[in-house]
Amino acid sequence: MQKMRTLKSKTEAKWGLILIAPTIIGLLILNFYPIISTIYLSLCKTGDFGIGNKFIGYDNYITLFQDKEVFHSLINTFKYTIIEVPFSIVISLILASLLNHNIFGRTSYRTIYFLPMICAPAAVAMVWRWMFNQDFGLLNMIFRSNVAWVTDPNIAWICVAIVGVWSSIGYNMVLLIGALQDIPRDYYEAATIDGASAIKSFFHITIPMLLPMLFFIILTGVIGALQLFDLPYMIINRSSRAFSDVQTITYLFYTYSFEHSNRGYGATIVIFMLLIIGIITYGIQKLEKKWCSV
Amino acid sequence: MKKILSILLSFVVVISFISCGKSNTSNVSKVDKKGSLTVAIWDNNQLKGLQQIANEWGEKSGYDVEFEVFDWSTYWTMLEAGVSGGEMPDIFWMHSSYAQMYMDSNVLLNLNSEIAKDDAIDIANYYPGISNLYSNKDGHYAIPKDHDTIAVVYNKSIFDKYGIAYPTKAWTWEDFASIAQEITDKGKTDGVYGAYLDCGNNQSGWYNIIYAFGGEVINDDHTKSGMDNPNTIKAMNFVKDKILPACPSQDSMANTAGDTMLISNKLGMYIDGSWMVNSYYSLDNIDDLAWVELPWEDVNNNNICDEGERVSIYNGLGWSIYEGTENSDAAWSLTSALTSKEGQIKQSELGVTMSGYVGLSDQWASSFEGIDLSAYTDIENDGTLIFRPYSKYAGRWEDYFTEAFIPAWNGSASMTDTCKSIATYMNGLLDSENE
Repeated sequence: MQKMRTLKSKTEAKWGLILIAPTIIGLLILNFYPIISTIYLSLCKTGDFGIGNKFIGYDNYITLFQDKEVFHSLINTFKYTIIEVPFSIVISLILASLLNHNIFGRTSYRTIYFLPMICAPAAVAMVWRWMFNQDFGLLNMIFRSNVAWVTDPNIAWICVAIVGVWSSIGYNMVLLIGALQDIPRDYYEAATIDGASAIKSFFHITIPMLLPMLFFIILTGVIGALQLFDLPYMIINRSSRAFSDVQTITYLFYTYSFEHSNRGYGATIVIFMLLIIGIITYGIQKLEKKWCSV
Repeated sequence: MKKILSILLSFVVVISFISCGKSNTSNVSKVDKKGSLTVAIWDNNQLKGLQQIANEWGEKSGYDVEFEVFDWSTYWTMLEAGVSGGEMPDIFWMHSSYAQMYMDSNVLLNLNSEIAKDDAIDIANYYPGISNLYSNKDGHYAIPKDHDTIAVVYNKSIFDKYGIAYPTKAWTWEDFASIAQEITDKGKTDGVYGAYLDCGNNQSGWYNIIYAFGGEVINDDHTKSGMDNPNTIKAMNFVKDKILPACPSQDSMANTAGDTMLISNKLGMYIDGSWMVNSYYSLDNIDDLAWVELPWEDVNNNNICDEGERVSIYNGLGWSIYEGTENSDAAWSLTSALTSKEGQIKQSELGVTMSGYVGLSDQWASSFEGIDLSAYTDIENDGTLIFRPYSKYAGRWEDYFTEAFIPAWNGSASMTDTCKSIATYMNGLLDSENE
């Protein structure tokens, strides 16, 4: 028999809708409508100021799939993601486990590791740019070397990834400390009784219990890394011979849309990225369902 | 105690949020208001001077003038948002990178009838390159406001250290190259270089050399590339063979900017524009710096600097009026006050730019005490001014220049071949602009 909705539950439902309405309306107007609009733009040859957009169908996409620069930038973005996300997670995981014990000065260590997160990304990039400077930078002074950090195509993207890892360690570490504290002590005690070493209990207790949080960090980390723009924009000069090997796909979108006034093609690049990130996100979530069968 | 502290802290935070985040608006003159005009600009350095001129006009005309200063990129975003259906300022600056776009989109008021009626404004009095930039077959859309030129700034302490005589304006580009080479050779152990020219230094760099050699970057119609012109190729090969050996490596130049090296006593000579003088003027070691005119190139081998052999690229802003302004008469009146001869003189005396009105630049040169900036103004008589090469979407090929020249700069490709392939690509871009 159908349960009759009581007046109370109807009132609750009504108030629920009213309270989430601002966010929903904001989402529709500020997120969904621009997405639809961008998809439409990608099917146009855009005129200036949105006047005179000429519908051209799939031409932009055909150009996109034949554009070597787009695929080069895509590969650069993948290279950055493959380096930045794992290193960031491994380092922050180790730090989080170490800082979970009651060592002296634990709070100050946690604060220090979190500091990069509160620095403005542009300021971070500028300081790192000077450190990487080949002739006058700090790194070449300390190592007494002459490494072409930001102009060697083989090294430049790694330098950008180093800055990316450095910036994100703090945030990941804080999330992982929170997740670590949720693991019941009983598991560790039982493991100690059974004679497991610290390393064994780390791999057999800590990691499996952290998997949901780890997947969240991996997912947001990958999405953020695939959208990277500010670091290569500020660290690598356009006249650097490594430029085309570091330029990320979002940087390419910025160049087309704002420096070349070619919004239609820029929109095409963005939709292309949306599809790629969507597919990767779907893949990660499928993996998560398989491995975190909780 | 804790509660009081936290209330105090939140109060401080809220106040600091309120006080930052407002764009720079200035005092509005208090006159019996017939109406008010908004003026948008992007250079805070010029605000004071312009506001003064506008207030004097406001007292006579009975209008309020409110200035709004944005930073460069916010300015164009603001204008674009305004065009698509928001609030537009009545009067605003126009720039070569955007002029054609705005003119083609019916955003700017056609000024022909106003110019004809106004005795104070005669287009012939302004630099032709600038007035041509801001006009098309339908007429004029902006009145030239100012212009800038290029000169060589050199570090006297470097010249003294290596016992080299200061350059004079009689020098040719060959002299420039050999002085630069001498400094680089003598400064090897100290890491000091004579010159600096990266592929991205176009307006304040190799554009000037191309035109001095008789070449061009783009044709006069802005429809075909000039990068495969034989004189252009000759100029770029001169850069490659004679100037680049005296410069830091291309990698070094991609790492560090030329003005940074100059003021850190690592560079003897740098080519820079008149708009940068203000940033040098505030330095501690300003007394080490001096300016000299750009060299010339003896194209016809007659040992005389003829017309077109000494070239400086120049650019200029314009004052535009919004097509849909409600106060077009008042807006024109203010624009006229700013760009008339008197207004331009006042601007030069008060501001930091050379005027768009021909022949009034001396005021600017003398507004910086203690340094001699005649290099920027004399070149208008001693040399030829060529307007900065542009087309409707110049950003596309300017970016391309920087990236495409890298192999030619660092020796992994031939300069001649690179110029030719750049010309082909640029022609493709220009064709798509004009279809």
